[in-house]
Amino acid sequence: MNREKNTKQTTLFAFVVLSIAIAGYFTGLQAPMVASTTSRSSPVEHLKTESSSRLEVGVIPATPYADIAEATTKHRHHTRLASLKSEFDPFEEIRIAPGEKSAALDQRSRNRAFNGSPPTIPHPIEQRSDKSCVACHSQGVRTESLRIPRMSHQFLANCTQCHIESNPRHMVAVEFRENGFAGLAAPTGGPRAFEGAPPQIPHTTWMRVDCLSCHGDGGQRGIRTTHPWRMNCQQCHTPSALFDQTLLAVEPQFLPGPQIKQ
Amino acid sequence: MNGELQPATEAIRRRQFIKAAAMAAASSVVGGSDYTLPVLADESSQGVQWAKAPCRFCGTGCHVQVGVQGGKVVAVAGDRNAEVNKGLLCVKGYHVGSALYGKDRLTRPLLRDGDRYREISWEEAIRTIADRIEVAPERFAFYGSGQWTIPEGYAAQKFMKGGLSNNHIDPNARLCMASAVTGFLATYGVDEPAGCYDDLDECDVLIMWGNNPAEMHPVLFSRVVDRRSRGEKVTLIDIGTRRTRTTEACQHYLEMKGHGDLAIANGIAHLLIKNGTYDRRFVESFCNFKASDDENPNLHGKPISFDDYRKFLEPYTPEHVEELSGVPAEQIRMLGDLFGNPDLKITSLWCMGMNQHTRGTAVNALVHGIHLLSGHFGTPGNAPTSLTGQPSACGTVREVGTLAHALPGGRVVANEDHRKQSEEFWNIPAGRINATPGYHTVKMWESFCTPTDQGGDIGTIWVQVTNPGQTLPNLNKLFNPKGDNKAGLEDKFLIVSDVYPTATTRLADLILPSAMWVEKNGVFGNSERRTQQWFKMVDPPGDARDDCWQTIAVAHELFSRGMAGMKDRDDRFLFEIKDKNDMPVPVWEWERYYDVNVDEYLFEEYRQFTRLKHKDLAPYSEYVNARGLRWPVVETDGHWRETHLRFSEHFDPYVEAGREVQFYHSSTQDDRAQIWFHPWIAPAEVPDDDYPFMLCTGRVLEHWHSGSMTRRIPELNRAMPGGYLEIHAKDAAALDIRNGDQVEVESRRGSLVVPVWIDGRGQPPRGTVFIPFFDETLLVNDLTLDALDPFSKQPDYKKSAVRIRKV
Repeated sequence: MNREKNTKQTTLFAFVVLSIAIAGYFTGLQAPMVASTTSRSSPVEHLKTESSSRLEVGVIPATPYADIAEATTKHRHHTRLASLKSEFDPFEEIRIAPGEKSAALDQRSRNRAFNGSPPTIPHPIEQRSDKSCVACHSQGVRTESLRIPRMSHQFLANCTQCHIESNPRHMVAVEFRENGFAGLAAPTGGPRAFEGAPPQIPHTTWMRVDCLSCHGDGGQRGIRTTHPWRMNCQQCHTPSALFDQTLLAVEPQFLPGPQIKQ
Repeated sequence: MNGELQPATEAIRRRQFIKAAAMAAASSVVGGSDYTLPVLADESSQGVQWAKAPCRFCGTGCHVQVGVQGGKVVAVAGDRNAEVNKGLLCVKGYHVGSALYGKDRLTRPLLRDGDRYREISWEEAIRTIADRIEVAPERFAFYGSGQWTIPEGYAAQKFMKGGLSNNHIDPNARLCMASAVTGFLATYGVDEPAGCYDDLDECDVLIMWGNNPAEMHPVLFSRVVDRRSRGEKVTLIDIGTRRTRTTEACQHYLEMKGHGDLAIANGIAHLLIKNGTYDRRFVESFCNFKASDDENPNLHGKPISFDDYRKFLEPYTPEHVEELSGVPAEQIRMLGDLFGNPDLKITSLWCMGMNQHTRGTAVNALVHGIHLLSGHFGTPGNAPTSLTGQPSACGTVREVGTLAHALPGGRVVANEDHRKQSEEFWNIPAGRINATPGYHTVKMWESFCTPTDQGGDIGTIWVQVTNPGQTLPNLNKLFNPKGDNKAGLEDKFLIVSDVYPTATTRLADLILPSAMWVEKNGVFGNSERRTQQWFKMVDPPGDARDDCWQTIAVAHELFSRGMAGMKDRDDRFLFEIKDKNDMPVPVWEWERYYDVNVDEYLFEEYRQFTRLKHKDLAPYSEYVNARGLRWPVVETDGHWRETHLRFSEHFDPYVEAGREVQFYHSSTQDDRAQIWFHPWIAPAEVPDDDYPFMLCTGRVLEHWHSGSMTRRIPELNRAMPGGYLEIHAKDAAALDIRNGDQVEVESRRGSLVVPVWIDGRGQPPRGTVFIPFFDETLLVNDLTLDALDPFSKQPDYKKSAVRIRKV
């Protein structure tokens, strides 16, 4: 009896081993004989997102689809489906806390050389085509884990002309030489005629025609508008002529006032 | 980033006070408000002064608005008033301000002392150069650049040819667009494109010949592809040797083998004639036919009849072209049909693909030829237009003529009248200008790297604004011997003016720190004949000084030593520059250099030269207010008007009424352009069993040329940190190479170990590999060939045979 049981167990065990071996053999056959050229085991190291470089701090990297399966636990929370739901709450009351504002501006400066420069791209991109850019950035969204800003300017067809990767994947980026360029700081607010007056726009509006790209629901806390339901921004917030490149060949003239005899 | 705020200037402080006062007044009117919204501190950004300048990098010639705060460049924006870029820039342009602030800027003159350098004074540096020139002026050579400003190039030109009677002055542009020049000269009798960038807005078909503008001239490329976003239809055709970002935006990709362009152009001409779709009226009215004269090869060739031309083209059937070029016959027929359709407006663009080519002059002439033959010429949207890679390759090299054979304004040293005219303008004794052309780039460096007793008769080279230690072809022959302590080269002396340490300063005996871009006044000339001016905005760091000042200071040192060549007919200094009161200013003293606008003075002197070839420039002051003007700029009714299309009535004021199209500098003196036949000829080096791969070199979006500026810009450097090899995935598999592996690439001239990037930025076909040249530690020019085009003397960087081995 025991012996019979043992034989049965041995047969079962042998069967299992054999099945795995056969399955493994055919699975192996299906795999490419030559390693895929995009193999993750490539000796090209990918930049670590926790690098101390000034360019990456605070930037949320999106995990490329190809890497989702292998993403570390640390990265996986960015790609969990649950966290992809929109975080938009139309009834949220928005208050501006100066601390949040400076944090937001600080984060913005991490992937910009100066205020007004095109931001660098904090996630990997397809090298030869930028057709996928508009898939996410034409509308933009904010989820629990990800903020995808929509384009602040009109659609321009050659995205990588101005926006380049801040974390290349094909090579370890090292600072070639130190650079002392100190970029123009972001303005912390627009001038107001008096307390409570709508502030003037403190930055150029060239290439930033869609205010809601940064100041809308998808924007960072601290620079979001307190009144997102108002759609006509420039009704109250005027652009400054200081940033207007339209050249006036002559200074504007005004009629003289009435001459009053002393 | 976000550096400390600079102290506000007086004007800003005043403005802030006024604003504060106004706000106080306003608050008092509202009165008693208990609003608690935070009023944040007044804005620092208002202290920024903005001014225009052309971008420092490529030949597109975008205008940027430069924001200066506290004596430093802090921001850059696209200039909305600029016709070239209409407010848009590329990523290099947005970051051009950072190019000034690399921490290792050269700030003191450095003289070699054994293996090290010691800091010396400018006086000693100038004396050292003068000593070298004084003992042997004929052994001195000036190696310049398409990044020279027009006044810098003009000063160097006058110093060499008008002062030293020495024609050994040549620019790096020889390596870049010399074949475009010879192509224009052979076809139209005068250099530079007839069309302009406006054609990009008009064309129905854009053909890019061996050109990747999505990365190299992004602003021009997006100017075309953005038309699609506006609902316009434009057909883009990429004729190339590898897939690039440009390919992705094109409807048609014609993948050719090196030199396939010669066959393709002949194939198009063959079809136009066979199908009877060439523009008979245009050809009969405005064109002659030419073929190269093998006994006496020159740009005049020998005249042939239309029947001869047809006969020469007979073998170039689509099937034969397919054999030669690798492009399917069907696609050749498609091109033939497009050119045969008079209703389409066709623009051709090309840059290094057709110029860095041992048959560069030929292929340039052939592409002009098919535009002329099909009548796709002379109306908006119909133009064969070559692009340049440097900001003033056209302005400083082609127009000022800083080439070994040229004089300003399209003149040549070999022509007695041209020499006389130049001597007149320069007020120098008759016969001062040497009639024998000097050494072109490759010959100049070959001579420098050859021991004197073996005929190496160039003893000293002064390099300004360029990096030949990285960009010359076949470096192991043309540059590296200087550093190998090769016997017999001890007496050679290399002077380098630059802003950063480079592969060239590495071997320099004397290094001079230069001012760059908005640290000095300047004038550039871009690819579409547009002359652009800017003013100095910030001070250069340390003791860095303008290149133009350096040239004038050396000239004055020689003048004060009594060298006759530095005097004009009236014994005055060659560069006597006067202020508004007609008083000479000692501009050779650096402290006095900006007492007067030297640029304006030199520009106005140079302007006299520009009339001969109808490349008229306006007075300097006109450029101050404009975002560049395209020559000929002709005064009519008190206004200076630029020219969009040359040789075309209604556009070009020099075309006689009723002539429609007039090639008024025709080399056959009959107002006709020349349509050339040139046969297909194999590249100078083709892959074989020993060296089975064809190596192509080039640029990438993020880096400009040798990367000495862009690699110091953190954003650009991070995106593209170093050099790499592109190879087809199947070739890689066959060699057991995987992404990131190091491979040794070896040519007959040198070898290089480089990482592999498969399916990366570009995708070469099987049998072809690509390495960008920006990386100063991975010098691809150790591998490249120094074979030249016979007419332009331009080398071919695109076709060297190599073998690859995994290491």
